[in-house]
Amino acid sequence: MSSTTPAAVDPNRTRNRIFVALGAAVIVATYLYLILAQPTELAEGGLGTSALIALAGYLIGAALIAVGAIHRLPTATLSLIPIAIVINIAVGQLAATLGLPVYLDSIGTVLVGVLAGPAAGAVTGALTNVIWGLTIGPIALPFAVTAVVIGVLAGYAARLGMFRRFYLAPVAGFVTGIVAALVSAPIAAFIFGGATSGGTGALVAAFQAFGNSLLASTTLQGLLSDPLDKTITFTVVVLILFALPGRLRSRFPFVRQYNVFGKVTPVAPAEPAAPKA
Amino acid sequence: MTTTTLYLERTSALHRLNPVTKLVALLSIILAVFAVPHWWIPIGIVVVVIVPAAVLGRVGGRLLRLFLILLLPLLVVLFIIQGLFYPDGSTVLWEWGLAQLTTEGLLFALTIGSRLTALVLGSLVFVLTTDPARLMSALTQVGMSPKIAYVISASLQIIPAFQARAQSILLAQQARGLAIVGSPLKRARALLPLLGPLILGMITDVDERSTAMEARAFGATPKPTSLIVVPDPLGERIARWVLFLSAIAVVVLVVVGVIA
Repeated sequence: MSSTTPAAVDPNRTRNRIFVALGAAVIVATYLYLILAQPTELAEGGLGTSALIALAGYLIGAALIAVGAIHRLPTATLSLIPIAIVINIAVGQLAATLGLPVYLDSIGTVLVGVLAGPAAGAVTGALTNVIWGLTIGPIALPFAVTAVVIGVLAGYAARLGMFRRFYLAPVAGFVTGIVAALVSAPIAAFIFGGATSGGTGALVAAFQAFGNSLLASTTLQGLLSDPLDKTITFTVVVLILFALPGRLRSRFPFVRQYNVFGKVTPVAPAEPAAPKA
Repeated sequence: MTTTTLYLERTSALHRLNPVTKLVALLSIILAVFAVPHWWIPIGIVVVVIVPAAVLGRVGGRLLRLFLILLLPLLVVLFIIQGLFYPDGSTVLWEWGLAQLTTEGLLFALTIGSRLTALVLGSLVFVLTTDPARLMSALTQVGMSPKIAYVISASLQIIPAFQARAQSILLAQQARGLAIVGSPLKRARALLPLLGPLILGMITDVDERSTAMEARAFGATPKPTSLIVVPDPLGERIARWVLFLSAIAVVVLVVVGVIA
């Protein structure tokens, strides 16, 4: 992930790379273990160690990626992250109070991923859940890994040019939603028993009533709600970013380096300053 | 910071403890609770450790209120889903259409529910009795990156300013005829005229903020001097290791099969 311009002198560069790689490996290993080992354990009538592995593996993986990634971020990106975290929390709460059927709690994470790259997106996702735990309640903390995955995927989608056309961004959102649903299904199953909220709980109950296992039911429930939510999130983000003046967007080195928005943006702001949108 | 976070300012022994010690204790409890496959262990820890800690920290009332708001609805949903629709239930107690009340389902709900209760209540006691600023200082002292401390502290401080700005944008757009009542689709459409100016303003601020930070050599010193020095007595450092190692021991015993 050489996505953001690293600091000139970074003595811990190798260490941080190892952290990120190790974190990613732990997350993948946790997911694979949980889906492969689960059928035999549930047949024995218990949870076995799957709850512990889901919680510990995902939290350690997310923490390793966040710690390894934060060191490569320049100060301009670091000062963007708190704002993105507050956007996540504020819009998430707004969507809940407006009674919308989607979460919309990752707009800031996707925004940072697109403007500053996968590493910045990962840090934003992980720390959003920490702030969420400190301010509203620690219920969502086990889902930190999902937020990390969303931030990383948003960054890579931007690198691949999915934000150059406004109709490509929803596609990237849909794919991100599928991955997010797969990653979060074991958490919903083994830590929450399918009961993450009333509405989703009813869906899980319905899938179980038709003979699906717990993990299959939470996966199906996630696949019903997450792709829709992420498609809307990515669409909102692309609309906001297209409304931003190009001068603001091209301030971010990641945007210039990978030509995220397609138009050839001058490195130095050649156009006369236009302070209002 | 005190208004936006759950932290309650009180004077108690629990508040005076080094936050790192409390964090290690919390992680050890969570590790043990999720390792042992018996529902009465988490319940026992809640009754013997977590609730007395909340009373000692003088946050019992708030803990009860948060339990009723945050956790109780989840537990009710959990018992409905798993009690009635557990896929591998064989001992049927009561049946109604597709719903089957099974002993296995209830036991499964009890295991998950007791663990979830210990996890959430334990974290809540930690958050209620730990000042975020003190937590960040203590974690930086034991080696956490000051960058993480900055992002978390800054986020907590931005929340009130952000809410005020969102409110004024909402009023300005309503004055221009933005409707925020009606069908969900209508309300969703109201989101964009609110978010656009909000995010634009925030991104403009970023530039000023990062220039100010760089002018003050943010991130130049790997180990900056801390304004708040959190005392870390030897006793607490030993207690941390004892707690952590006993939790690891419990996990090893479960994996090996001594505790089943």
